Amino acid sequence: MEQIIFIILSLAAIISALVVIFSNNPVYSVLSLVITFFSIAGHFVLLNAQFLAIVNVIVYAGAIMVLFLFVIMLLNLNKSSEPSAPLIMKVASSVAGGLLFITLLGALRQSEASAGLSGGNIGSVESLGRTLFTNFLFPFEVSSVLFLSAMIGAVMLGKKNLKDS
Amino acid sequence: MLNLVFLIPLLPLTGFLILGSLNNRLPKTIVSFVGCGTVLGSFVIVLTLLSGTLSGTITSATISYFDWIYAGDLNLKMSFLIDPLSVLMMTIITGVGFLIHVYSAGYMHEDSGFVRYFAFLNLFVFSMLLLVMGSNYVVMFAGWEGVGLCSYLLIGFWFKKDAYNDAAQKAFVMNRIGDLGFLLGMILIFTTFGSLDYDDVFKNATSVLTENSGVAIAITLLLFIGATGKSAQIPLYTWLPDAMAGPTPVSALIHAATMVTAGIYMVVRSNILYSLAPFTLDVILAIGLATALFAASMGLFQNDIKKVLAYSTVSQLGYMFFALGLGAFSAGMFHVTTHAFFKALLFLGAGSVIHALHHEQDIRNMGGLSKKLPITFLTFLTATLAIAGIPPFAGFFSKDEILAAAYERSPVLWALGLAGALMTTFYMFRLLFVTFFGTFRGTDEQKHHLHESPLVMTIPLMVLALLSIIGGFIGVPEVLGGSNFLKNFLSSVIIPYGEKHEHLSHSTEWILMTTSTLAVIATIIMAYVIFVVKKSVPAEDNKISGLQKLIYNKYYVDEIYDTLFSKPVTFLSKIFHSVVESKIVDATVNAVGKAVSASSKILRLSQSGNISYYLYVMVIGIILILFINNIL
Amino acid sequence: MSKLKENFNDKKMTAVIILSCLGIVSMLADIFSYKKALWYIVLAGVAGAIVANLNEKSNAIIYDMLLTDNYAIWFSTLILALVLLWFMVSKDQYESGVYNSSDNYALILFATVGALILTSFSDLTMMFLGIEILSIPLFILAGSNKKDVSSNEASLKYFLAGAFASGILLFGITFIYGSTGTFKLDKIADWANAAGSNLPALFYTGILLVMVGLAFKVSAAPFHFWTPDVYQGSPMFVTAFMATIVKGAAFAGFFRLFYTSFTSASGSWALILSILIAATILTGNIIAVYQSSVKRMLAYSSIAQAGYILLTVLLSNQEAKYALLLYIASYGVSTITAFTVLYHVEKIKGTDTFESFTSLSQTHPLLSVVMTIAMLSLAGIPPTIGFFAKFYLFSSVLKSNTSYLWLIMVSVAGSLVSVYYYFRVIIAMYGQHEPIISSEKKQIPAFYNVLLLLLVCVIIILGMMPDVLMSIDNL
Repeated sequence: MEQIIFIILSLAAIISALVVIFSNNPVYSVLSLVITFFSIAGHFVLLNAQFLAIVNVIVYAGAIMVLFLFVIMLLNLNKSSEPSAPLIMKVASSVAGGLLFITLLGALRQSEASAGLSGGNIGSVESLGRTLFTNFLFPFEVSSVLFLSAMIGAVMLGKKNLKDS
Repeated sequence: MLNLVFLIPLLPLTGFLILGSLNNRLPKTIVSFVGCGTVLGSFVIVLTLLSGTLSGTITSATISYFDWIYAGDLNLKMSFLIDPLSVLMMTIITGVGFLIHVYSAGYMHEDSGFVRYFAFLNLFVFSMLLLVMGSNYVVMFAGWEGVGLCSYLLIGFWFKKDAYNDAAQKAFVMNRIGDLGFLLGMILIFTTFGSLDYDDVFKNATSVLTENSGVAIAITLLLFIGATGKSAQIPLYTWLPDAMAGPTPVSALIHAATMVTAGIYMVVRSNILYSLAPFTLDVILAIGLATALFAASMGLFQNDIKKVLAYSTVSQLGYMFFALGLGAFSAGMFHVTTHAFFKALLFLGAGSVIHALHHEQDIRNMGGLSKKLPITFLTFLTATLAIAGIPPFAGFFSKDEILAAAYERSPVLWALGLAGALMTTFYMFRLLFVTFFGTFRGTDEQKHHLHESPLVMTIPLMVLALLSIIGGFIGVPEVLGGSNFLKNFLSSVIIPYGEKHEHLSHSTEWILMTTSTLAVIATIIMAYVIFVVKKSVPAEDNKISGLQKLIYNKYYVDEIYDTLFSKPVTFLSKIFHSVVESKIVDATVNAVGKAVSASSKILRLSQSGNISYYLYVMVIGIILILFINNIL
Repeated sequence: MSKLKENFNDKKMTAVIILSCLGIVSMLADIFSYKKALWYIVLAGVAGAIVANLNEKSNAIIYDMLLTDNYAIWFSTLILALVLLWFMVSKDQYESGVYNSSDNYALILFATVGALILTSFSDLTMMFLGIEILSIPLFILAGSNKKDVSSNEASLKYFLAGAFASGILLFGITFIYGSTGTFKLDKIADWANAAGSNLPALFYTGILLVMVGLAFKVSAAPFHFWTPDVYQGSPMFVTAFMATIVKGAAFAGFFRLFYTSFTSASGSWALILSILIAATILTGNIIAVYQSSVKRMLAYSSIAQAGYILLTVLLSNQEAKYALLLYIASYGVSTITAFTVLYHVEKIKGTDTFESFTSLSQTHPLLSVVMTIAMLSLAGIPPTIGFFAKFYLFSSVLKSNTSYLWLIMVSVAGSLVSVYYYFRVIIAMYGQHEPIISSEKKQIPAFYNVLLLLLVCVIIILGMMPDVLMSIDNL
């Protein structure tokens, strides 16, 4: 049963990811990206990582993709204003991506995960929360500096220069 | 007297700082006073050191000022080494340097860059002093780079002509190749000995290095590559003739008397290392001799008064390396000393001629100048006799010592050395006769303005002429009743090498000396017949042919270098520049920039081709890295 | 909060706390209108952070995430000193009225927090956080001149390429976690030691991907493409910050990670790193030769310098730590000096090309002397600090492993090529005389004259006695 769900989810993820790349209409691209995120969230659930699944849907599929859609609509992007990359670029990128995939696959084919990691409950909200607020409390707090600077940055980019030089 | 040593390099440095910072705000008299005065001050202190070393109160003193690095293995002091060798070099640098400074005050008087010129000249004297005074290789390297920079700045002094800038760049590139050798040699010395102090290196040399071992040969060869760059030896010599683009006193000071001998000083300073690597000495011998002959043959048909002297310098430097290759280190230093006197004099004399003719340098447009410029003529004659090696002028003794050392090794080497000397004699007397004898061939206007140079220029000429006459007496060989004073003077620094050879008997030495002197006189007569009696003047550029043309064009060495090295490198760099930079990066940005209005430009840049190109290259990089790792 | 106070009393990570608070203080300057005093407050704060950092409790383990060993303390001190210097020299740019000093200073201070974390992390999560805290403010700062299109472009390019590199870095970290089961540097090292030569592909692929991510941050070839565009487009002192402090911190982190965790696995990355180094040195130096803008030349020169500094990572031994400290100090001070002069020249002449330096020695003798010393130091010519940094680095590589002779030859050759483009600036300043336009005679404020003289003294004094840095025990 798990196997079948895994295959379905994987197929959905791969096909929708391909649509993201090949679709000429940016809105279609974004929508199929949402599908990709949902199928990946499905994978997380299969791995017993419910929290990550929820976060993935809320943050990526929810917030970020909506932002994308807004931008696309506000700027009124459509097929005609979107220059398509030259054919050679497309071929080159596909070759490069394929090669990267093959090399990584080749490098990782024979390896196996470390023994200590395959606990049953490792991805649950509870264990994640516990780890985050005990072992990883310090990084959790330090990341506030990161968010603060991102906020300042957003505000700063939104403002004008003090004086136009 | 040792407590004033720090002032020796400091005075010229102060001169440079004063002149450099108060650029163009000083009257010319004060500028020349500061420029010459600081060097004179150093010279006076050097003289006290010289008397100390002569009387034996100073043998070898290391004066440390502070620890430069004192951590881990690296332990360096900012310190000066005062011993006969460094004092000899310091005397030449400050003494000849002072005379040339005085001469420059007259020669450069009309130039708009007067202050700048003196500032650079002072900086040069400072760097050169640092080079010879340092007690470790790092201080020497500091000076080495410093003189390189000054030489670069002074060759390109009249930057307005493109050819001059090219000459400066050529000198720069050639010297860089040499520096590569020096730096690597230095690093190798450090990893072998754990120190760069002369003291540590030379004391431990015999215990750390075995004779002709790979390390010994590598160190000495790398250092020698450094020397070939700075001292213009095959294959890195082509910059020196082009360096004549600079003002003539600069050629006299930097490109004849001092800087170019830095390579010889370095080899002599490291003579203990070199005696442990006979293989390297053989290489030096071959290169020195080849340079001496090759450059002398090129001097035979040059028509630019300074070019003749330039090739002569290359050839004489080759002679000095020839001596070093024979293991006759003190003979090499002897020739450095006498050469400094007569070659500086030749250049200054040439400068005086050029000055009188308003920057005419082609000897075909000169002639008959002996009457108009009597002092210049007489001093030039003295120097020519000295370089030809007519006894008792300075060049005779030093050249003779080298030839004697060559004969000890093999008569063939002696014969080749003599051939070089004869060529030198021929082109020098050709220069003298064509320039000063016969009738004047220049324009009427030049003829009208012909004048002897002012006293400020002729006095240095006279002093140097005096030195060219008596300078040789510091090294009179035993056979002539002397005691080879210089050799004894330097004996504490230079260990004897090549004792295995039999010393020449006095009768052999007499025969050699007489033969070479007679051959030289015969050559002078030949030159006299050709250029004075037959009054032949070198042909125009387009009328020469055959071998003469080949030599006149310097065997096309520049052209060969150009195709072999410069062009591929320039090509590669241009490819990087024009393809990667302009075609891919700039072109995309430009195309995008022109196509749309400003607002859409910002938006488009985010998705323009070029950032994806960057990422594309990154991905390729990652693939390669993983791929290399997997197959290894 | 009480825990925080406890840490503070305990002298643990006081510098990080001070800088974070300082960032908030500077952020609020506009609201409470003490912007005029901000520069002084920030200066005092950073100076205080340096003092606090030197008094930091040594070898303290903080939440099992940071470790304040001597390495961390001294590299943090160096970074903070450079930041202090940066605030002093950049004063003019932020008083010119184009930039809002309070926002900019806040971002710089937060970035510095990231830099400090990068010098002291003992856990891969902290390394990643450090890099991000360091990068994100810089993405924004690169675009802080909003009217300037090339500044916008720089920001966007930096962001996109940086995000990509962060992805690769994270990818690598996951692989390492996947094979070792831990984020802790010392535990990874133990694991690798135990595994011996039989390392799983997952592990060394992880190392290589982390290496790629970090190579991007330090702009090593072929991951350097963003550097020239970003350096040229960004405001002058933002570029100076990126070239010195960001780079220095990234190197400190790079070295810390590889030295602590991956030395026993060096067989899997040393060769590749040495190829990257050679490529970086050659690309940087060769392309720099043909630049017409001094700023862009400095960008390529910083790529080339990154190649030399990477030699320390390749070496990964005790001696390399000193070489790294010396090199970052030397490169940092010289580069900040060069950028400061360039800033003033650009302000006077309006461009940053080599031509703008023509006959500078006549109008601004001091600026030219300062620039000359900075160029000599970057080129590695004694008696400046740059020479010793290079010399010490090269000789320690050769001493520990003679098979890297080829790499040293490439490095020395590269540094001799670099002399060419550094000297081009000097020649332009001293070698040429041209009629002077009176507008070009404008002098710079006395404050900067004093500051520049001070910097020159630092370059020369450190060059005379680098043992100040070399005598630190047990780095």
